[in-house]
Amino acid sequence: MKLLLVEDEPALRAVLLESLRPGGYVVEVAADFAQAYEKIKLYRYDCVLLDLTLPDGNGLDLVRALKADNSPAGVLIFTARDTLEDRIAGLDLGADDYLVKPFHLSELNARLRAIIRRRQFQGQHHIVFRDLLVWPDQAEVLVRGEPLTLTRKEYDLLLYLLANPDRVLTKEAIAEHLCGDAVDAADSFDFIYTHFKNLRKKLQEKGADNYIRTMYGVGYKLSSE
Amino acid sequence: MKLLAATNRYYLALAAVLFAVGSGALYVGVNQALRHEVGEQLDIRRHEVEQLVRAGRPLPGPPFESGLEVSAGPRPLGFGDVLLRDTLEHESVPHRQLTFAVRPAVGPPVWVTVRKSLVETDDLVRVILATMLGVLAALLGGAALLNRWLTERLWAPFRHTLGALRSYDLQQHRPLALPTPAIAEFAELNLALTHLSQRLVADYENLREFTANAAHETQTPLAIMQAQLEQLLQLPALEQDPAAAPLLAELYGATRRLSRLHQALGLLSRIENRQFAAAAPVRLGELLAEKSQQLGPLLEARGLVLHLHAPAPLVLHMHPGLADSLVHNLLHNAIKHNEPGGDVTAILGSNYLEISNPGADPGGDPARFFERFRKHRATADSPGLGLSIVQQIGVYYGFGVSYAFEPAGRRHVLRVQFGA
Repeated sequence: MKLLLVEDEPALRAVLLESLRPGGYVVEVAADFAQAYEKIKLYRYDCVLLDLTLPDGNGLDLVRALKADNSPAGVLIFTARDTLEDRIAGLDLGADDYLVKPFHLSELNARLRAIIRRRQFQGQHHIVFRDLLVWPDQAEVLVRGEPLTLTRKEYDLLLYLLANPDRVLTKEAIAEHLCGDAVDAADSFDFIYTHFKNLRKKLQEKGADNYIRTMYGVGYKLSSE
Repeated sequence: MKLLAATNRYYLALAAVLFAVGSGALYVGVNQALRHEVGEQLDIRRHEVEQLVRAGRPLPGPPFESGLEVSAGPRPLGFGDVLLRDTLEHESVPHRQLTFAVRPAVGPPVWVTVRKSLVETDDLVRVILATMLGVLAALLGGAALLNRWLTERLWAPFRHTLGALRSYDLQQHRPLALPTPAIAEFAELNLALTHLSQRLVADYENLREFTANAAHETQTPLAIMQAQLEQLLQLPALEQDPAAAPLLAELYGATRRLSRLHQALGLLSRIENRQFAAAAPVRLGELLAEKSQQLGPLLEARGLVLHLHAPAPLVLHMHPGLADSLVHNLLHNAIKHNEPGGDVTAILGSNYLEISNPGADPGGDPARFFERFRKHRATADSPGLGLSIVQQIGVYYGFGVSYAFEPAGRRHVLRVQFGA
């Protein structure tokens, strides 16, 4: 899985790179428009993570270039909060999804997974994690072959966890993932707790114990051990 | 009171006093003069009579002589006023009389009284007074009318300036364009105001740019901070120290809050700067349903019930982002300041949206709820900008946003009126 990360801010680029690495991606980076343009013209990527505000050009032009070349690459754009127009323009041009800066890295992972899944790269029709088998197309979850019935929110939560295995997920990130980022995270911590409790119980009943670990005062983690 | 009305009032008061005093003086003066004149005429008559007597001629008697009375007995000498009955018109007529004694060459002295009617004199006084008072009144009325007309004419530039000031909107980023009237004072005023507005526009522009730049420039470090903190939370070393991770998590939450605050302030300043020119038809009913669904988890978490009444489809022409923000903030506010087991009721009428929820009487001035950073509780996590944003959007599109507390049902009611 080859990704191109286009981000002009060095510190942010570094931390994004670091967070993407455990996902098993091959990530190339471009620091500005010129570099990025050259790379998308020369190489093929499965997904391009693109900051729209670049010092030497508009990221939207890169989306245009990709679409003009009929590139199969998925496009995930990063936009500033106050540029709704850019966001809409990006999606209209054919970007798959957008993230508003600053975003949660775990959210980035989840969105990236979703894009890849939608585009069905490398025949990734299902997700396997320990005893879990998930068929996202059918929204079906199996624990050791036995179907697990989940509510919509619990299923969303599980997919989110599966996109971030062995990663500490903060309460804020989880809350915003489930309620949309317009919601003040602090309002919904109780609600996360309830959903985790239920999901855990359901997994436990099927014998999938200790999958979800509570990180005291921080959040939750899907543990592969 | 208008400045001119005030000055006019003083002028009129002065004129009225002068008018009254003048009329009195005129009456007294003219009356005196005429009586004096009559007195002189009577004196002349006396001389004539005395000369007649001295020449030895008899005194003229009636019917040839009227206004002359001869008496053998003594009478008080000198001038006097007397009312005599007019036999023709049957009314009392004032007369002035002069009594004197003459000694004919033969016989005893006689007392002669000459009289003159004052009727003509009174008529004269009346005519003179009427004429004078008429002229004075005309002068006074004329002055008042002239003043009014001058007000209309001369003060026109002033009223124009006032109108321009009243409709002046700093957010249009344009200084005042005032003409230079012929009246020096007004020209000076306009010049000073134009300079003032230019300075204001420049200052405002600076502030706006600063805010926009500051908001934009802080967003990047915030993004870096947040991402690095999240990575830091992944460190296995954190598991060694149980206190470290929650600290980091709190830091992470604070960064997130800061970024939210920034977003809200940025949005506010962008609305104030009228940077949402684009508009599209927004179906409010659908938006309301969509937002309610989005906030569903939050309602569920709080154990709240949502009642949505949107009988009529309402389409507004506004920026979709702002419509989104408006509905979101209203609903979010109703959820946030709710009571456990309460409800959120949204009613979409033909030209208004009303969202209400139960809660305790907040007390205080309702207008203050729209102030920035106004919080329900000092400890609340949210920065308290939601209603400010609602109000600003209202101002931007001319919607009336009002808040009321209904003591009967103990409900907070927020109402947005879309036009008339």
